[in-house]
Amino acid sequence: MSEMPVIEMRGVAKSFGSKSVLRGLDLSVARGQTFAFLGRNGAGKTTAIRTLLGLLKADAGHIRVLGLDPAKDPLEIRRRVGYVAEDQAMFGWMRVGQLLWFMAPFYPTWDAPWAKELSDRFELPLKTRVKHLSKGQGFRVALLLALAHRPELVVLDDPTLGLDPIMRKEFLRDLVTYLQGERVTVFFSSHLLYEVEPVADAVVILDHGRVVRQAATEDLRASVKRLLTAAEAVDVLRGLPGLLDLTHHGRQASAVVEDILSARAVLAKAGIEAQEIDLNLDEIFEAYVIGRRKEGQDAKTDLERVA
Amino acid sequence: MPKLIWKEWHEQGWKLGFGCLVLGAMAVIGLRSRIIADESMIAWVCFLGMALLPVLSSSGLVPAERSERSFESLLALPVPRWRILAAKTAMGVVLCAGPMIVAALASLLVAGGREMTGGEMIALYVRSTAAAVLLFVWMLALTIRLPNETRAGLLGLGVLIFWIIATLGLAYPSVPSSAMTISPLAFVYGFFNDFVGEPPLVGVVAAQAAIAAALWCWAARQMGAEDRS
Repeated sequence: MSEMPVIEMRGVAKSFGSKSVLRGLDLSVARGQTFAFLGRNGAGKTTAIRTLLGLLKADAGHIRVLGLDPAKDPLEIRRRVGYVAEDQAMFGWMRVGQLLWFMAPFYPTWDAPWAKELSDRFELPLKTRVKHLSKGQGFRVALLLALAHRPELVVLDDPTLGLDPIMRKEFLRDLVTYLQGERVTVFFSSHLLYEVEPVADAVVILDHGRVVRQAATEDLRASVKRLLTAAEAVDVLRGLPGLLDLTHHGRQASAVVEDILSARAVLAKAGIEAQEIDLNLDEIFEAYVIGRRKEGQDAKTDLERVA
Repeated sequence: MPKLIWKEWHEQGWKLGFGCLVLGAMAVIGLRSRIIADESMIAWVCFLGMALLPVLSSSGLVPAERSERSFESLLALPVPRWRILAAKTAMGVVLCAGPMIVAALASLLVAGGREMTGGEMIALYVRSTAAAVLLFVWMLALTIRLPNETRAGLLGLGVLIFWIIATLGLAYPSVPSSAMTISPLAFVYGFFNDFVGEPPLVGVVAAQAAIAAALWCWAARQMGAEDRS
């Protein structure tokens, strides 16, 4: 029997007034995975995360986090999950040591020696007020608070937002590597794809409140490719299965497909030779979110859009 | 819960000191100078307390925390939201009652038994404290979604002015005295009407307890209401 997913969302919908933010969101996160939740600003990442933690109630759909329903057991979920919110602000007047002392009783599994070890590792000044910490130190405090109760799942909402490049690299190297080693499931949203790529086991791409692709990172890289061929072949490219983007520059046509095996078969049948180019996660994300062929939109429109 | 109260105490404690200082000083200086009758002086101290303390406390509890963006962190704790609100309400009640108690003690020491008996003084302060707490509950409920202290303070002043005017209207002789029970200022009815009988105290207590409970429950629902994507 397969292990129960740590996070499961099926057909989750959420609106704020007339604004529909999540439109039938489906995703599944396996235990021990480092899962990247990708989307542009406003795609619905934060809303989805807040719904997972029971901070918002979904209008429709099925959600389970660690086997619990966030609408019914939000407190139990928050006890067992470590959460760092986007641009999180703590209680500025508290000293770092006071903040740890304040937070500890809310979590039955709070591990004081581990919290101390983390504060040493993060070089946090325990007697300094939170409002006097640098951005990087503030982020480390938020991380410490998210990890000190040894959560089964860590949810990080755009955690590197506002950090300098060195801090971001340190975060990814130290934190995610550590959590992966401990078999802690990490669910983190980001729009900095080049940072996600080296550490994520799986990604989900969110666009306008819907998942447009969920896959293991390696599978995604292996299946989504760019094809370069002569401009004359544009009609064949237009008919490729899983076409994400189609562009035309001079004598060359370029297509991004999400299933290279099927595309290869179609091209071979039509007797067209095409050069296959590997894409990085950034380019894959762009193909899905920006270049994705809209329903009813023909290739001519694609070409016009690019031109 | 004790940690939540500890947090509120650290954030709001200075207001308690400020309120005690202002009301205590006003009572001592006013009563020692004897420029007006003791009852009038105490009424002014009580009125200042009823006007100042609910606005000061309600605006600082939730809206100030929203403006500092730490409210999200508070709501993300594995604690029921009603407990967070209960800790904030407890601190608000202390902020409203503490300075009144200090002013009452100061008044008793300076002028107890001089023109008013100690019992009369205490009754006036108790009624004023009850009115201040009830105004605080109104202001807490109505300002709980506001994003900053300034707007909450202004709305709090609006609530105060509304209820002063409304209570003056309810004190009009042609209005049945039982209608006064809906006003949070019903406990200090004597400030507004000296010539018609007071509404029954039991009725006032029952009506105000019901209204305060309803407002508090509404505030608890509003506190975590969804307001952003």
